[in-house]
Parts: sequence; C-alpha cells; structure tokens
Amino acid sequence: MKVKSRFDRTFDRELLQEIKEKLDQGLLPQWLQTDPDIYELEVKHIFSRTWQFLGHESELKQPGDYVTRWMVNDPVLLVKTNSGEIKAFLNSCTHRGTHLCTADFGNKKTFTCPFHGWSFNLDGKLIGIVAGNKVYGEAMDKEEWSLRPIPRVEVYEGLIFGNLDPQAMPLQEYLGGLKWYWDIFLKRSDGGMEVRGMPQRWIVNTNWKCTLENFGGDPYHVPSVHKSTVEMGISPSDPLYSSYGHQVVLEHGHCVNVNVASPGAKQTPYQGLPEEMWPMFERNLTKEQLEIFYKTTVIVGSCFPNLSFHCPIHGSEGHLHNYLTLRVWRPLGPEKIEIWSWFLIDKAAPEELKENAYKGYISSFGPSGTLEMDDTEIWARVVQASKGTMARDRHLSYNNLYNYMMGMGKVEPDTSWPGPGTAYPTCYVDFAFRGIHKYWLELLSQGVE
Amino acid sequence: MNAELQYEISRFYYQEAYLLDSRKFEEWLELLTDDIRYRMPMRITRENKDGSNILEDMSYFEESKKSLTTRVKRLRTTSAWAEDPAPRTRHLVTNIVIEDGSTEDSLVVRSSFLFLRSRAGDSEMEQLCGERLDVLRKVNNQWKIAARKIIPDQAVLGVMNLSMFL
Ligand code: FES
Ligand SMILES: [Fe+2]
Repeated sequence: MKVKSRFDRTFDRELLQEIKEKLDQGLLPQWLQTDPDIYELEVKHIFSRTWQFLGHESELKQPGDYVTRWMVNDPVLLVKTNSGEIKAFLNSCTHRGTHLCTADFGNKKTFTCPFHGWSFNLDGKLIGIVAGNKVYGEAMDKEEWSLRPIPRVEVYEGLIFGNLDPQAMPLQEYLGGLKWYWDIFLKRSDGGMEVRGMPQRWIVNTNWKCTLENFGGDPYHVPSVHKSTVEMGISPSDPLYSSYGHQVVLEHGHCVNVNVASPGAKQTPYQGLPEEMWPMFERNLTKEQLEIFYKTTVIVGSCFPNLSFHCPIHGSEGHLHNYLTLRVWRPLGPEKIEIWSWFLIDKAAPEELKENAYKGYISSFGPSGTLEMDDTEIWARVVQASKGTMARDRHLSYNNLYNYMMGMGKVEPDTSWPGPGTAYPTCYVDFAFRGIHKYWLELLSQGVE
Repeated sequence: MNAELQYEISRFYYQEAYLLDSRKFEEWLELLTDDIRYRMPMRITRENKDGSNILEDMSYFEESKKSLTTRVKRLRTTSAWAEDPAPRTRHLVTNIVIEDGSTEDSLVVRSSFLFLRSRAGDSEMEQLCGERLDVLRKVNNQWKIAARKIIPDQAVLGVMNLSMFL
C-alpha cells in the first residue's frame, strides 16, 4: 500500500488544479511562499521563460560601457558596442566558464579572462587566445567561441530586458497594456527618465512573490505598515487614504495601482512636477494618459515575474517630491532575495528638482527609507511564519490557506476607465494578487506533468 | 597627536556607541552640530584601474540634523516596525586615528566600525562593517560631530534595512 504523507504529496497537475480552484475562491496556500520544490519549479519554468529587467539605457552611455547583472543565477554582461547597440552576454568565459567580469560597471574595449587569457571584444567575439596557434593549431575557429548571448534582449522606452527563452513572445507583446501606464512616467518628458548612480542592493529574508505582490497590489498595507508616517503627520489619518484610485489587472500577471488624493483633499497636479514641465507632458502623452496623470499621486505596480515600479510623491521634511524607483527582486532561494533598487528622474527636469527628488527617495525608499525599512521587516515576518508544519500541509485546508478575497463579488470593474486592462475603482482589492498568481499557475502548470 | 587627546576622542566614540546601543537617540542627536552633514555613499565593485570604489553619486544616507531628528522621532512612534520590537544592536568602534589637518578645535577622525544586530528570535546576527570619516568640532568646550561619512565594506548590504544610525 502506498502511503503518502500530506507533506510529501508531489507537486503535480492535480495539486495545481486544486490550487487553481482555491485561487478562484480567493484562497491561496501559505506554503507557496517558501516551499523549496516550488522554488525549483519557478526557476525552471518561470524565470527561464519570462522577460527580466536588466538595466536602463542611461546606464550605458559610451561605447565600451558595461554593467554586470543577474537573471536569478545567470550572470549577465550588458555592453554598449561600438555601433551603439546594447548587447547582453552570459558573463562567463566560453573556455572554462570563469565569471568573466566581476566589476559592477566600467568601460572596456576588450574583456580578458583571468583564467587562461582569452579575450573578447564588445561584440562578444573571441579575438585573442594565448598561444593560440601553438596550442590549438590553425583549425581552431575563433568565431565558434564567442561569448554566449542572452537568447533575447529587447528594449522598451529605455528599459532593457532579457529573456532566456529564444522562443519567448516579443517584449512589447509580453508587456501588453502595461506599456500604456509606464508611458505616463517613461514618456512624459523629452528624453525620458535617467538613472542616477547605480542601483542600491541589499538582502532581505523573504520570497520574491511577497515583494512582487507588495508593490503590485497592496495599497491596503500602507496605513498599517507605514502608520509611523501617519503618526508623524506626513500621511493622512483616513485609513482609506491609499485606496482612492484604480487597481488595474493586466495580462501576464502584470498589475498597476493608480492612486489619487483623498476626496476633498488638495489636488497636486502632475505629481507636483513644476509647471514649466507641463507643456512637455501635454505634448508627449495622449489625452487619456494626461487626464489620469493630472490626478495621480502614486503609480505603483509590478511587471511579472520580478520587476516592480513605484512613482510616488514622497520625501521628508514636508518637501514631497516625485521620482521613480525600479525594483528587481532577484531570488536567492525560496526565503531570500537580493533587492536592486534604481532611482530615476526625468532627464529634462530642472537640476534642483533632480537633487530634491533624490533626497526624497533616500529618505523614503531604499534600505534607509523610513517607509521601506518597515516593509522589509514585515516581508521577513511573512516568510518566517510560513515554513511550519501547519502551513506546509499540502492538503489544502483552513490550516494553510490564506485570504485573497478582498473585493471578490463586491467590486465591479469600472468600464469607463480609459486605460487598458481591467480596472477596479478602488485599490483595496485583491484582483491584482489573483492576476499574479493566475499567471504564475499557468506557467508552472506548463512545466508539471 | 598627544595621548590625552587620543584617549578623550576614544571615550567620545565609546560614549556615542553606548547612546546608540541603549537607544538614547535624543541624547545622541545632541552630539551632532546643527549643521552636520551625515552621509553614507555606496560601495561598488570596480576594477582597480578604474579608481575609487566609493560612489558618491548615490548614497544610503543623505542627512541633515533636521532629517536625522525626523528619523529619531519616527522611531518613537508606536509603529516603526523595523525597530519595534527593538532589535539589539552593538556598535564596535576601533582603529580610531586622528588625522593630519586637525586643529585644536576641529579634528579629522577616521575609525572602523562593526555593527551587529540581533532581531527578535533570530539566532543569526546581521552585520555591517566599514569606515567612518568624521569631522569633530569643539562647541562650548564639547566635541560634536560636524560631518560624518560612513563607507560600508559591502557592495550588497547584508542587512535587511538601515533603520539604525552608524
Ligand atoms: S576560462 Fe577563460 S580563458 Fe580559460
Ligand atoms: Fe510599503
């Protein structure tokens, strides 16, 4: 007789189907966060097939400029070639696989491997072999030993993405309706956004889905996790203050929350950006985008699987400024992530605003941000409490299912919303979460027998 | 530099560490001049030929006395979760060197720090180490910190957040 304990139940189609049925009821197993088997499946079937953010074009200005990045465990070398093209290679020597370039960024004409001295040019071509003819003879065809390109690299409005699947759908198609919302900050000003410095990086003991969800569809956490700012008089005391606006569910697990000011509160047009910039916005955006942008206080959301974006008005000392932060939640295991946080601001913004926005970012987000530091604490607490026997029981029951029901059967989509996606007229709903997990399940199901 | 001054300055840093580790943040603020510049640039990984691996352009802290005071006030709310329950911290300060360029009323001081933090029931300590470059100024016959630059040794910080002062 085959007896299977409820903990070793295999992760098969049947189980996935059960999870799907629960998700349709607004329930999700707590162990999705931390289960090591699931993590393996995610690396294999999600991160190997979806578009991952690598960097912003403004990080690579001159030919030879490079930055090094990661796609989970694949080291990536992102280079600007002599013709101005951006290329991405596996940052690993084709001879014996040495991590080729270990600096965060720099400028080079050739990448020389420290192990046996092979060197590659900006196009990834092998151009030098130490004692080449003497050891490999004439027959060695250098062309065959170029750096291995990341199978797909595509750019959207300055955002560079890579995909490990040569068969993946085009980036534009993958992003779908998300582009319309991104354009509100990526396209609003001439020259788009630019990165300042380098991304901040730090380690948090949590799961990548937890952070993806947090930015993707959780304005409901704001009044409690960030209550300290309410106590300080920086945020309004109305517990609904971050609910005003729309939560939009998009294809491929993407989601956006477009927040507006509380009813009756003073309007800050165009996220407080100076009036001299307004004509530019009017020129660069469509009528519908402009209408939404005018009222917006915060645009925050996630691009499946591990990029989030946050374009708020924040800061300290009563001086609130708009900025953009991009996030990569790089998984380092089921319970650990490396956060990459970029600060961006409009290239065309006045210098003073750039400086103030930068200070606003440091004080509110990033590892020392008075808002973000409380987020990291809570994210760690989620994982900490989701590893136990009760939470891990693979027979789905009250003991291990948690609540994704907000808004279900109560809140109907707003059909007058001018943007793409399914828009709900409040951000205190779990539609975005369910969208994330629906796509997550879809990808995982394709990889499970 | 004379031994007495070295002793005095070491005492100053030990007292500062004591205030921070005992969560006497308001008293710590009193050690700072009103015009303090408190910064923590990023450490990055660069090839040696490319020069400095400290990135001044992007930082973890970019603070004034006012913004530090705001941070302390926030820690005193009932909902600064990163510090409630309060983590146990230990600031170890060593290698205190009074640099050239110091005068009777103004000292340039370099020190190393090791910051350790124990959070809730975690048995593992979070840690951060690096260097501090301070300018100490004598105000009403008392040393105060007029500038501090904190340089972490890690390019990827091994701490969950920077809810502490360094
Ligand atoms: S591993 Fe790179 S040259 Fe041998
Ligand atoms: Fe948050």
